[in-house]
Parts: sequence; structure tokens; C-alpha cells
Amino acid sequence: MIETHHLSKLYSRGLYALHDLSLTVEKGEFVFLTGPSGAGKSTLLRLLLVQDRPTEGELFVNGHDLTSLSRGDVQEYRRGIGFIFQDFKLIPTRTVFENVAFVLEVLGVPAGQQRRRAFQVLKWVGLQHRINAFPRDLSGGEQQRIAIARALVNDPALVLADEPTGNLDPDLSLEIMNLLREVNAGGTTVVVATHDRELIRLVGRRTITLDSGRVVEVT
Amino acid sequence: MRAIDYALRQAWASFWRSGTATAFAVLAIALAAVVLGTLLLVTWNVDRVMEQWTDATEFSIFLRDDATSEQRGAVETAIDQSGVSDRREYVSKTQALTRFRSQFADLASLTNDFDDNPFPASLEVRVRPDAARAGRADTLVRTLAAMPGVADVRYDREWLTRMSTGLDAIRGAGFALALLMGLAAAVTVAAVVRLGLHARTDEIEIMKLVGSPVSFIRGPFVAEGLLQGGLGAVIAIGLLWAGFAVVRAWWGGDLSAILDGAAIQFLPVRLVGLLVAGAMSVGAAGGFAASRHAA
Repeated sequence: MIETHHLSKLYSRGLYALHDLSLTVEKGEFVFLTGPSGAGKSTLLRLLLVQDRPTEGELFVNGHDLTSLSRGDVQEYRRGIGFIFQDFKLIPTRTVFENVAFVLEVLGVPAGQQRRRAFQVLKWVGLQHRINAFPRDLSGGEQQRIAIARALVNDPALVLADEPTGNLDPDLSLEIMNLLREVNAGGTTVVVATHDRELIRLVGRRTITLDSGRVVEVT
Repeated sequence: MRAIDYALRQAWASFWRSGTATAFAVLAIALAAVVLGTLLLVTWNVDRVMEQWTDATEFSIFLRDDATSEQRGAVETAIDQSGVSDRREYVSKTQALTRFRSQFADLASLTNDFDDNPFPASLEVRVRPDAARAGRADTLVRTLAAMPGVADVRYDREWLTRMSTGLDAIRGAGFALALLMGLAAAVTVAAVVRLGLHARTDEIEIMKLVGSPVSFIRGPFVAEGLLQGGLGAVIAIGLLWAGFAVVRAWWGGDLSAILDGAAIQFLPVRLVGLLVAGAMSVGAAGGFAASRHAA
């Protein structure tokens, strides 16, 4: 699903965020990326979302060469990716339902289908009773569950999560991880960047540890 | 189609969300449209009257007192063969004097002291409208002026040409002013749309991340400019109509007298449509320019 060969990202100050990174994530796998702050976890996720481009090396996701995608191709590629961020990135002026259905709306899905699918995923994350609430009315855990619903609503092949539990307490963190495990059980590839060692231990999946932009351990 | 529907719905919502800023943009477009509309209203009416006058142009060929009947016949033949004349009439020296006395009754007594009739005989030619527009009448006038027995030729189109040149200058200056105001309006729209864009930064970022097509990202901003342009045009047309009604009520009679009996009219639907389309284009251009920051 994901392949990197000698992947590097050099910032203008001469610092490598990623350096000569080669790794593979198989289709349907659940992988943790971990390491201290500045290790390169978020940079790798940014490259996977094509928010940034590598300086050197190759990066393939599901057959797409991410180093050579045009702007139009980037948008098409992203339609197959779900993303979850630490700060949830929900639209504050839209209701829970609209935040989720919005993804389908901008992808041109017919209105009836939007409603059905959005309700289905909201039910799956257990928030079907809050569809008319606004993000400000929800707890952190609830907001992250909305973000997960939004990430899954267009049925992506790959879900990328950058510190998805960074703002949550341990119980809620585990709850979110259980949701992601369920997503993965359905065949979706999941990559989670986190520095929470305890959570990684509890979930118990393959873990790639980065430090100074290099892979230092794979367990 | 769904992209257009989405763009219009989002634009409509944003249109009302940023009320004061939107009002400024609409006002800027309305002002530019009022300037252009006033210019169109004035020039269209003057053009219309000038066309009527052009259709009714005449020229007079004044004959020398010693012109022979053969020379007069040659002039008449040249007129008839040119195809320029609708009709022609010979006015003898006596008829010219009689006409002067009847048209200028106050001055009629002066002519009693004349030893000799000073009025020349003439040929009055009514020009066909197509010949006047095509310039064939000008050629004929030059030919006739050089013929034997002809003292002078007066063609009343000359002042129409001068007026037309003056009108073209006014039109040019007016369009330049309207263009300048249109540009200013587009810049205002772009600034207002960018304000809305900043308010929706999160939304746009998420749209990009979920792979939304560029038309969905930029479309609402272009549509917002389009709506602002449309509303600005409607306001401008309302103001133009009100101004026109006031002018017609207060000075309609005087203007009609100046315009040789022709009544002033409001812009035809075609020009109103052009004005609306122009204002919407200005708005859309502003929205499009601003939306570059979104994609």
C-alpha cells in the first residue's frame, strides 16, 4: 500500500526532517509511527497527504507516484485517503451531520446518498443522536469520533491519523484506538502517528520508530 | 451541474454572512453601473435622434443668377442619376422671397426696399437615408458644387457629423471612466471575497484534504462575485430608472422641443441586459481573482 525508497525531506535551513527513509506498509495493515518530537512522523504524514513534496527518493501509495502528481491528480488521489488530526479540524459553523456529509457533497455525491451514508457512519461512531449539534457543543472525544466518521464517510483505502489522541485522556484515547482497529478490521489500511508508548503497547500492532528522520526500530 | 449548485448555495450563504462588506462591494458595482448606464442612456437617446435627423437630411443647391436653363438641367440630371435623392424641388427667386416673407414676417417689411430680389434660385434635395449613411450624398455635394451655374451647396449633415464626433468623444471619455470604476469595483469585490475566504480557511483546507475538485473550492467565490455584480446592476438600473423618471417629469417637454419633437426613452432591454451582464462579469472577475488564494 505504501512504499518509500530512500525518501528524504530537506528543509531550507539544511535540516533533514526525513533522511533516506525506506519502508513498506502492506495493504490492510495497522501501523504505528512513533518517535520523539521532531522525529519526522508528521512530515511523513504530510508527504503521504501530498501537503508537501519530498526532496529526494520515491514515494508510492496504492500505485500512485506521489512525487509526480499534478494538482488535479493530487485531489483525485486524496479522495481515496481519510485523515484524522490531533486538533480534529472540524468546521465550527457546521453541524455534526454537515461536517460529515460535507465531504460527500464536495465530491459530488447525490444528496440522498449523502444523507444515508453520513447517518450510517455517525451511527457507527455512536453519535447519531448528536447530528444537529455544533462542534463547540461536543467533548474532545466526541469531536474526534466525528473526525473519524468524516475520514471514513467516503470509504477510503487508507486512513492517516496524526496524534489522534493527543488531546484526549487515556480512556477516550483507547476508545478512539478501538474505533480505528474496527476500521482496520474492515480492510482499511491505517497509519497512526503517536508518541504515546502506552497506547501502542495496549493496541499491540507493528510499530515503526523514527528518530531524526530515520527509521531506528521496527517492532 | 452539482458544482454549480454547490457554488451558488455557498455563495448565497456567504453573501448574507458578510453583510456590511458585501454591501460595499455591491455599492461599488452599482456606482460603476450607474455611470455606464447614464452614459448609455444619454448616448443611446442622442444616437436615436441623430438617426432620425440623418434620415431626414436635405441639401440645397443655390444657383447663380446668371445660370442658364441648360446648366440647371445638367444639375438636375446629375442629382437624378446619382440615386441619392428621395425627391427634389426647384425654388425660384420669387418663391424664395415669398417663403422668406412668410417665415420671417417681422422682417418682411425690409424686403420692400429691395431694388432687386437678392434671394437666389435653388434646388432643394431630400437625401435618401441609406445614401446619407453611406456617404454617397457627400460625394454628390462635392460634384454639384463644382458644376457651372452653381453658386453654393449647403448640406445640413455637416453639423450632424460635427455633433457625432463630439458624441464619440463623450462616449470615449465616459467608457474610460466606467472602465476605471469597473476595475475599482472588481478590486472591491476581490477584497470582500477574500475576507470571506479568510473566514473559511479551515473549510477550504478540509476541502483540499478530502480531494474536493478545484471547481468546488473556487466556484463559490466566483459565484459570490457574480451575485454581488447582479445585485449591483439591479440597484443601478433602479436608480437609473428613478433618475430618468425625474428628468422626464421635470424637463421632458423642454428636451422634446430640443430633440425636434422626439421623446426621450429609457434603455432598451438589450442594453439593460448588457449592463447586467457587464456588472456580473465584473463581480465574477473579482471573485475569480480572489479565489486564486483558495486553490
